[in-house]
Order: sequence, then C-alpha cells, then structure tokens
Amino acid sequence: MTGLLARPSHLGSVPGVTSDPVPAPRGVLDPDDAEVDRRFAAGDEQALALAYERWAGQVHGMAVRAFGPGPDAEDVTQQTFISAWTGRARYRPDQGPLPAWLTGVCRHKIADTWAKRDRQRREAEAAVSEAEAAPSRGSSPGVDTAVADRMLVLDELERLGQPQRGIIELAFFADLTHAQIAERTGIPLGTVKSHIRRTLERLRTRLEVDGAALPA
Amino acid sequence: MPHCLPEQLALAALKEPLPADDAAHLASCADCRSEVRSLQRAVDVVAVPEFATPAAPVQPPASVWAGIAAATGVSAAPRAETHAVAAPSPVTARPTAPVAPPPAPPGSPAGGQVLPFRSRRPKLLLVAAAAVAGAVVGAGAVGLVRGGDDVEPVAAVALDALTDEPTSGRAEVVVRGDGTRALRVVLDAPDLDDEYYELWVIEPGVVDMVPLGVVRPGTQTFELPTGLDLGEFPIVDVSVEPLDGDPTHSGVSVARGVLES
Repeated sequence: MTGLLARPSHLGSVPGVTSDPVPAPRGVLDPDDAEVDRRFAAGDEQALALAYERWAGQVHGMAVRAFGPGPDAEDVTQQTFISAWTGRARYRPDQGPLPAWLTGVCRHKIADTWAKRDRQRREAEAAVSEAEAAPSRGSSPGVDTAVADRMLVLDELERLGQPQRGIIELAFFADLTHAQIAERTGIPLGTVKSHIRRTLERLRTRLEVDGAALPA
Repeated sequence: MPHCLPEQLALAALKEPLPADDAAHLASCADCRSEVRSLQRAVDVVAVPEFATPAAPVQPPASVWAGIAAATGVSAAPRAETHAVAAPSPVTARPTAPVAPPPAPPGSPAGGQVLPFRSRRPKLLLVAAAAVAGAVVGAGAVGLVRGGDDVEPVAAVALDALTDEPTSGRAEVVVRGDGTRALRVVLDAPDLDDEYYELWVIEPGVVDMVPLGVVRPGTQTFELPTGLDLGEFPIVDVSVEPLDGDPTHSGVSVARGVLES
C-alpha cells in the first residue's frame, strides 16, 4: 500500500496486515476533491477508495437508470472504476474534475453493454435464420447503426481537449444552450459557438470515416 | 437571404431555436437543412436520456467494491458508510463473545443500515425486507432457499466470496412469533478437512464481533442473542477456522455480506 495519506493513529498498531484493506481516514485528514483527483492520476490507491466513496453513487445512479438495479448496473459501475483506475494515465486533473471523467467512462460502459446486447441479438437472429434453413449469406442481421455510431462519438469525445470537450458535453448531456454554456463556463459566447461548430464537424468526419454506412 | 452561418447550423443541429430570419431561411433551403442533418447524426446518437447528467445517485452494494478491489489489487478501502462494508482485517479483532452490546434506543435508526427489529409496524418492515431481498437476488445472489420455517425474513443479504474459493451464500434475519430472532444461513462452500467454517456478525469498524457458531455447507439457523443490535453488527461473515482451540477469528474470511435496509 503506497498511500500518501497518513494513517489514522488507531490503525497504527495493526500488526502485519499490510495486504488487508484499510478504511480511509476520516475527518480533518480528508483531502478535498481536487486533491483526490490529483492523487488518483498519480496512482495513489487510497485515492481510488476516496473516489469510490465520493462518486460511486453518482456513477451507479447512472448505471441503474440505464439498466435498472441489478447485475448489469453493478457490472457497469464496477467496470467504470476498474477502467478508470487502469486507464488513469489518460486522466488529466488539469483538464477537468474526476467525477466528470468517471461519468464519461460510465457512458462508455453503458454503450459497451448496449453494443454487446446488439451483438448477442444479431447472433441469436443469425442462429434462428440458420435453423430455419434460410442460408442467404448476404442478408445477415444488420448492426444497429446508432449503437455503433454512439461508441464512435464517445470515443471521439474522449480525444477532445478542453475547453471543447466540456462545452460539447454541456450541450449534449446537460442540455444547456450555447448561451447557458457561456454563462456557466465564462467562455465568450462567440467562442462557445465556434467550438460547438468545430466539434460537431469533427464528430461528423469521424462518423463518415469510421461509421456504419447510412442507408441512402 | 444568404445561407445561415455555419455556427447557426451547428446550433440548429443541437436543436437550439434560431433567430427568426435564420429559421425562415432554414425552412426554405435544402442545402442548409442537409448540413444540419449531417451534423445531427452525432448529436442524435448520444441524445439518450441514459447519458444525461446528473442522475439520481444510488449507492452500489458492497460486492461492487469487492470486485473493483479484486480486479485492481488495491488494498485501500472506502469507509464503511459508502456501502456499509469496510473490510479491515478481522485479524485485529477480538471476539466479544455472545455478550450483547447495549441495545439501541427505541426507534433509533441504527445508522440507517439495518431494519429495526420488533418494530410496531411489522407490515412496513416486511415491505422493506422484500425490497432488500429483491435487491439481493437481483445482485446475482445464490438461489434463494427457504427453509422449513414459515416466518418471513425481515432482512436478507447475499454472502459474496472474498477469495477464489467458490464460496457464497445468503443470510436472512427472521423474527419468530414470540419475538426471538434468528439468522438463517444458506452456505454454498466446499467441504473442509481439519478446518471448519464459523459464522460471525461484525461491526463496520471490524473490531468487535460476535461469534454465532460453527456452520456447515447447507442451510442452518442460528439463534441471535437477545438485545444484539444488528445495526451495530451488520456484517455477516463466514470464516475458516483451524482446529487449534483458539476462539478468536482466524482472520481468514471466505464470504461476507452486509445487512442494510
């Protein structure tokens, strides 16, 4: 355990249990959110526990809204934190708060689950059509275009720098108008508009290059 | 009028209302509309309610953290109230024998984690307990096995494996007609040689604990000491004990669940 946090004194006497979990310290030792963000990025294990303490409810709330309470939602929440931790090199504290980044990872996991279900559906349909002896090779059940496009858009969002990413996420996910975004972020109105335009162009290009062909 | 500015078309793709003259032009210009449509493809695929922020927070069950800790190898743990499990080492614990801690004051919410017992409103309890049981089963718990007792559990929790051993189970708190309580445990675990399983209830700080007895794979019912406040001892723990005559917890927990409401 490589935590930077001082252990609370009442745990100091624990003999030889370094491999056992240690609860996060309480009270005055609580680091503020920015400190948690920074330590998380630096790979401090205690910061993962603190991040879970503070934001697991938010992440799980999103997962439960998508899948209802149960194994699917729990899997999404679990995978979100595991991916965030193993992929923490991609998280830049100076680019935004950790909970916002976790939310982005959670959207990916939800989209992944949808894609997996879509694949299973197609496989099931393929199996059925095979069983019905309709060997029309060319007409295998199609990929759900929206499911595939959604993954591409989320992936491209992750490649955006700030403030572009924050701006478009407020537009997409918080349903703010460009005027509200300008007000919220303090970025001039004209700048917000041109960022939105350029980001939507970039997403369009990504979908045209990598996306499923749209029906004519 | 000339075509709309590219920025205006982007806002239109986001379904923002445009100024009147832009809107009028858009309505009559196929080129501008086509531009909006092409920008809208990205907007539409992520404009799903599931992605909106914020969502109402929901605390995940303790098994979620257990999975994260197992996958990442991280030894730190969130503090107990996050999901009502802290899992510091039982090695540090000293059993307090079946001496009951002071009962909670009447009507005390017991930290909001465990249903109060002997409530004057048993119907409400059963509803809440059913919700708990539903959540537990939904969480991939083992199949529910109801013993011969015809009392309904007032609280139930899945016991999740803490090691690679295929050990899991379920614990249910039942209140009998005479007001006495018992913990009914279904344990799905391999048989042991020269060791045995023991059942404990443990407080969230994992310092104090109450041993409830030797448990075998299968279904068994354990008496709960009168006055024992499960709000203070919400962690149901199954340990592997060597036959060494030492009555303290071995520190080897193989399955655990946290009673919560």
